[in-house]
Amino acid sequence: MSEILLCNQSLSPQNFQLQCGIEIDQISAFSCLKPTIMAANTPYVIGNDQSGASRSILAQLSPAPVAKELTNLSLSYGGDNIVALAEITEKLKEYNIGLMGASTSVYANRLGGFAGSVKDYQAALMEYRQAIVSKSPMKAAMKQKAQVAFEKMQSQFRNELKMVTAQVKARRGVPLTNVERATNIAESSRNVAKLNVTSQVQANNLVKFTKYAKVLGNGLAVIDFGSRAGNIHSSYQADDNWERELFVESSSFAASAIAGTVAVNAGVAALTLLIVATPVGWVGLLVGGAAVAASAAGASMWINGQVKENGGDWYDRIMNGIK
Amino acid sequence: MSLLSQLLAIACVIGFFAAIFYVLFGQITVRKLRKNPKTKDKLGFEYVSGWDIINVAQSLSIPRKLSKKLENTPLSFLYANSELLHDQTNLSDRILAAIFYWLLTISGVMMIFLAIADTLGFFDS
Repeated sequence: MSEILLCNQSLSPQNFQLQCGIEIDQISAFSCLKPTIMAANTPYVIGNDQSGASRSILAQLSPAPVAKELTNLSLSYGGDNIVALAEITEKLKEYNIGLMGASTSVYANRLGGFAGSVKDYQAALMEYRQAIVSKSPMKAAMKQKAQVAFEKMQSQFRNELKMVTAQVKARRGVPLTNVERATNIAESSRNVAKLNVTSQVQANNLVKFTKYAKVLGNGLAVIDFGSRAGNIHSSYQADDNWERELFVESSSFAASAIAGTVAVNAGVAALTLLIVATPVGWVGLLVGGAAVAASAAGASMWINGQVKENGGDWYDRIMNGIK
Repeated sequence: MSLLSQLLAIACVIGFFAAIFYVLFGQITVRKLRKNPKTKDKLGFEYVSGWDIINVAQSLSIPRKLSKKLENTPLSFLYANSELLHDQTNLSDRILAAIFYWLLTISGVMMIFLAIADTLGFFDS
């Protein structure tokens, strides 16, 4: 695991020690192994860990736009939150049609709802923070409000949160699953954030997340779930082969939608016949519906992953065939 | 290209044509049925907008015996009324429905089987 430090203003060695409680020669940046000051908006790794994994995580997070956005996001959301949010966003994108409840609801609403509930929770935390800074008598009420927003998010999106936070093993809990930790972060003012990044995949998710999420004033972030379009656009901007990216994104979307649709269709038909043949009743129907939805989601996610993996290769072969 | 990648590519090509026929069938046949007051409310349950296209295609292309069976269950509201739809459509509609429905199903079933086979480790080497 690599511990990454981020800061929104440059710190002298004395200040650094005061704020973080460690010596400046214990940290290193990607471009500078022995820093004399801690520069703003630059990721530093703690300890003398010069292993390849650590270096490559730093390399991924170091480009100026990524580092700056990441610093802002980490300071307003808390370091642990950012790592968790980046993973949740990545997972949610893979769901598509698959998580559509076989009997009633539509998952598209859920994506919007999840973004909304995280935002509400965050807004409540920021209000609480404001109340502390201005020593407002409303402090307790604000804390209560954050608690309510947290519980609402927990009760509605337990599965999504659980899936992700199972991988984030912060000892004190992640603010997305632990409201106490979140309010503690809101209480202590700071301008240094610490991220625990365990893998390059996680670092990669963080980089993507900085592209989707933008900090708007007051630390409120807009999370853009239209990321398939985002991938294509960023490849266009980077002068990459954006047509190839378009092919991969659209075919993986279409394929995962098809797999999900057929899974739901066949699953529901099987369930219907089962009801006639056996005395399963309504409880069985609900359980069966959940099973159908889960397998549809599984198939959908697998297809999405596989097509993304192979799609670029297919595109190259098609283009070579045409030429 | 690995075997998995090749098989998946075939499923995706079939799926590509299914997607084209989805739009065609939706525009040519289902649009007509949605406007027809007799069939308007008999197109089955829409899990998401547009699912009625799949319901109609299914009731026109699977064996009518099976359709009847599905429609006589407590969950009949999920399915389009096949009897009525057969009366209200012509042969070309039904051919279009069958092409779309079977392309979609073959593509989807292939993908699902590949997913299961891969999860069970058939493609590990």
